[in-house]
Amino acid sequence: MLAKPLVYFAYLLKTSPYYQKSKRFFYNLLENPQSKMKSYFDISMICLVMLSVFFLVYSVEHKLNEIGEFFEQFVVVVFIVEYLLRAWLFSDSHLIIISEYERAEYLNIPFSVIKTLKKILEKKLEYIFSLIAIIDLLAILPSYRPLRIMRILLIFRLFKLFRYSNSIKVFADVLSNKRFELLTLAIFMGFLVFISTIAIYLFENPSSGGNVRHLYDAFYWSIVTISTVGYGDITPLTFGGRLVTIALILSGLGVLSFFTSIIVSAFNEKMYTLRENRTYAELSRLDNFIIICGFGRVGQEIAANLTKDQQAFIVIDTDENNIKLAKKNNYIYIQDDASQNTILTNAGINSGASSVLCVTGNDVINVYITLTSRFLNPDINIIARANRADNVNKLYQAGANNVIQPFEVSGLLAAEHVGQPVAFEAILGILQEQKQILMETLIVYPNSLLENKLIGDIDFKHRKLTLVGVISANKIHLKRRNRYKVKNQHFYFNPENHFELLAQDMVIVLGRKYSIEHFQDQIEKSKLRPVK
Amino acid sequence: MKKIIIFGYNNLSYEAVSRLDQKYQDIVIIETDPALIQSAKDKGYNTKNIDFRCDVALKSLGIGKSIDVIFCFLLEDFNNIFLTLSARAIDKNINIIAIAGSAQSAEKLIAAGANKIIDPYQICGQKIHELIKKPDITNIIDHTVFGRDDLHIAEIIIPTGSSLENTYSSTLSLNEQFNLVLIGIVDKELGDKLHFAIGEKDHKLDAGDILVVLGPSREINAFKQEVTNA
Repeated sequence: MLAKPLVYFAYLLKTSPYYQKSKRFFYNLLENPQSKMKSYFDISMICLVMLSVFFLVYSVEHKLNEIGEFFEQFVVVVFIVEYLLRAWLFSDSHLIIISEYERAEYLNIPFSVIKTLKKILEKKLEYIFSLIAIIDLLAILPSYRPLRIMRILLIFRLFKLFRYSNSIKVFADVLSNKRFELLTLAIFMGFLVFISTIAIYLFENPSSGGNVRHLYDAFYWSIVTISTVGYGDITPLTFGGRLVTIALILSGLGVLSFFTSIIVSAFNEKMYTLRENRTYAELSRLDNFIIICGFGRVGQEIAANLTKDQQAFIVIDTDENNIKLAKKNNYIYIQDDASQNTILTNAGINSGASSVLCVTGNDVINVYITLTSRFLNPDINIIARANRADNVNKLYQAGANNVIQPFEVSGLLAAEHVGQPVAFEAILGILQEQKQILMETLIVYPNSLLENKLIGDIDFKHRKLTLVGVISANKIHLKRRNRYKVKNQHFYFNPENHFELLAQDMVIVLGRKYSIEHFQDQIEKSKLRPVK
Repeated sequence: MKKIIIFGYNNLSYEAVSRLDQKYQDIVIIETDPALIQSAKDKGYNTKNIDFRCDVALKSLGIGKSIDVIFCFLLEDFNNIFLTLSARAIDKNINIIAIAGSAQSAEKLIAAGANKIIDPYQICGQKIHELIKKPDITNIIDHTVFGRDDLHIAEIIIPTGSSLENTYSSTLSLNEQFNLVLIGIVDKELGDKLHFAIGEKDHKLDAGDILVVLGPSREINAFKQEVTNA
């Protein structure tokens, strides 16, 4: 009887975009480590916790005024809402209902509401009994009036702070890596404490003239001594007691240094991954960045140029010296082999990267990285460097979009310099954008002032621009002269006056930066104008 | 006819030689590795096996007398610096073009007396950067300057007695008459600087001025004919 509306409700939730949207929103706010919202939320929660603790400490000796009381109420409400939201986010109950229902349908057995609800409850209980949820709950309790005794639980409110920062997780991770060593040490220390507790009690009990009154005192003294803290509130008086103390202090030094070395080495080992995690976290916040594989001379040149453009990128290289250089320049880097799938995936080839540059000095490696990148992401833009002319085709076969040969370009420039020095200066000038003169594309946006206009009607001269040509993928232009195939579109050199521009065509002009930018602005503005 | 010597036979020199018009230039390649000499000979290049470290050998090649240009395309920067220094000491006016493997070497080569430094890695890096920033333009430049299609940038010197003498650059309208785009002008009245033709200034053309044009080679030749025949 209850089954039908329950299942119906579950399906309703599953298909409701509003429900999904709100759940996603709260997930981003509370749990998603990659969302910006979570970090803002965490910071404000830390402030809230600190303030509330301050008020609670204040209220130990003073009476809170109305504002304080109100604030306390507010904090508790926030905590409760947060607790409930986290419980809600922890599992998708409607999915459990649906899967149970579908299973029952498939197996042709009756759908049991009780069993399903039990399953849901189990899942939620799993949340309630998780350590962090218990801390959350205990942090709410101190303000429950009849339980003022529970003030001690205030501490848990401070523990709650750990939830909002990563450091405790990192520390726990580091320690858990050294479980075995720490366990060995703990057992050894346990024996030591046990033996010394018994020994000191035997030597120093009041009947033997000492001041260790009972076993608890002996245990307390052992811990204080072995940790080399040594308060001196309980001191051995007998000869035997002092012998025990000497032995315990010496072994305490050993235990302590052993413990320190474990922690230090654990952090050392973890340092690399910690750093790498930070790199990935930094990357995940970026969008539209470039992966540079190989940080030799070419890679460095590209990185310097990209930095000037404020374009984000990540450097991958195996070479120690190259990585040192990247570190020095504060670039994001990974010191590893870029031909490995995991490294490229971690570097974000499928999550935000727009281009991969394979620019190591070794063509074999470049081919391998190109192939791997193309396999991992069929749509990404890959530019590769070929040091030998015979490898150009192999790189294209491996999936590169563009292949650059450093020696070809340089040889050509050298030849040009001798044959046509003035033309050489012109090429170099345009290539390097010297004197603010550049070649640039003007995109013909739909509804902009350029659309459906004839080339002859655009006054390039007046705008201090020189028309070079038009790039278009539009088939209408195909019958025109001066056509050159460039990738999957055509470049129309020096188009005639009656050449009509269509949407998505690109006009290539030569001119000063200001003139080009000014014209681009006008085009941008014109496309926003309502169509008459 | 220009006399050119290329030191070192490798990808770079191969590319440079194949781009230089051998009809108008006399090119000699210097290499010491017998295998490389053979492969250069197979391609029909004029090669010689001499030690560049020896001034007498350099002089015997004609440096200081008939040679106009040398390319220092040796693989090690220090060799190129040594060669540049030696050649400059022999001939004050020779045109030396050298490759540099790093920014520091480039400075040293300039100090040693090279006229033009080419840093293949820097150029490669810049080209890749261009490809990311402006892929369309870079592709066009590839097809024109780097000559994958029949579009070239050429410079044309206006000879004395040309029909273009005493005309103005604004009246050229090369795009309508010759299917060429005027990229820039060196107006000798204003010095040797290249002025890009972007409608900023109307240049009066005289003999000796240089026009830089972009277009198909047939049109470039037609224009050359027109300029010289008048």
